[in-house]
Amino acid sequence: MQLSIVPAARSAFAAVLILAVAATPARADEAAETFVAQILTEANVVFKSNDDETRNAGIETLVDKYVDMDRVARFALGQYARIATEEQMAAYQPLFRKYATSVYQATLDPYSGEALEVTGSVDRSARDIIVNSKVVGAKPGSEYADLVVHWRVYRAADGAQSIVDAGASGVWLAIEQQSTFKSVIANNGGGAAGIDALIADLKAKVGE
Amino acid sequence: MAFAAVKILAAISGALAVSLAAATAQGVIGQTPSDEPVAQSEIDSAVTAGATDDVADPWEGFNRKMFSTHLFLDRNLLVPAAKGYRAVTPKKGRRGIRRFLANLRAPGVFVNDILQGEFGRAGETLGRFVVNTTIGAGGFADPAAQIGIEAHSEDFGQTLAVWGVDSGPFLFLPLVGPTSTRDGFGAIVQLGMDPHFYVRTPPADIARYTRAGVGGVSAREQFLEPLAEIESKSLDYYASLRSFYLQSRKREIANGVVDYSDLPDIGEFEEFDELE
Repeated sequence: MQLSIVPAARSAFAAVLILAVAATPARADEAAETFVAQILTEANVVFKSNDDETRNAGIETLVDKYVDMDRVARFALGQYARIATEEQMAAYQPLFRKYATSVYQATLDPYSGEALEVTGSVDRSARDIIVNSKVVGAKPGSEYADLVVHWRVYRAADGAQSIVDAGASGVWLAIEQQSTFKSVIANNGGGAAGIDALIADLKAKVGE
Repeated sequence: MAFAAVKILAAISGALAVSLAAATAQGVIGQTPSDEPVAQSEIDSAVTAGATDDVADPWEGFNRKMFSTHLFLDRNLLVPAAKGYRAVTPKKGRRGIRRFLANLRAPGVFVNDILQGEFGRAGETLGRFVVNTTIGAGGFADPAAQIGIEAHSEDFGQTLAVWGVDSGPFLFLPLVGPTSTRDGFGAIVQLGMDPHFYVRTPPADIARYTRAGVGGVSAREQFLEPLAEIESKSLDYYASLRSFYLQSRKREIANGVVDYSDLPDIGEFEEFDELE
């Protein structure tokens, strides 16, 4: 008796949950906004530096501190993350960290001398939140005027928050990386051979 | 790099598409240097290869050929022209020219605003056109933005999207850049929405060629650094441009509203969900 009730109760619970989620409009998430605001406070100091080397070092420190690189690295492999061997992952993860850090450095370069501030957030779920920001005091008609810089915050089950992607005006870095990596893997025979080719390409790109 | 570039990537391809199509309409293109025509079998094999399963690019083989033609023309024609243009013009002058060219596109934007039923935005476009053409000295300045009427772009490809026409396969065309079957077709129809298209006198023809040429060079000049940056960082330049284009185009069609619901999940939630 009990055994048959449990699945029914569970699916009823699931249905209620789905309804609840569907009925709740995407809303702001204060904790994630605070988290990003704190990162931006640190980042704005880094952006102020006129020296490329100092700025890049500052961005690297921030990326190491706040970006969950292992999670992004797995995401960038797409479905190939499941078939990559332990050895391949061990070679790939540090290369990805280097590569993605350099992408963050290049991407954030145009913001040197500018400052970003949080404008709001949208939660995709309780653990997947988009926090939006904009350039402070952007002049109307300037390239920054209608620019929205997005930060994707992942909240682990224990409440710890990290950045898993960044984007601008609807265009995301990790999504582009996944698309490119999958293309490289697929065009090099897919599977293990493709992953090896990707690792070789990454190695060449980060200068190892 | 990317952030600055993507914002206008769609716009650049739109602008270039228009200028290229203008030239095509005049019958001057046809000797475009390109690789030998791509055999249908190659297109078919690209279709079956399915290199990127979740990206709408069944013509990848064909597109990559077009892409290499594009890179050749870009490096030998557009980039040198854009660098020369930058060398001989002041920054503010170039911005004025961009605004002037954008102002010339306003009638086309207006028609598409109307076709999409966006009457408020049509009013903005009309207001901008009137203000900038008069007070803005023929469009070289943008006083409309100063009084709070920001620019937006519309083209017939976007109108088709709003009408429910599917984007169709991704398409990469030399000098046009990343586009889609729908947007490529839209760019051709778009030509007819430009009043300039109907003036067929020798001075108007010269103006048309000049506009197409300056438009292409002016658009490319803006992207010299961002595109070089993307190319230097990318493991697959073609795939990067495709991804940036597809991502930014989606937002453009939604008139700047970013849809977060269709983003892929990052991270494995299921391992935790078992526990909750």
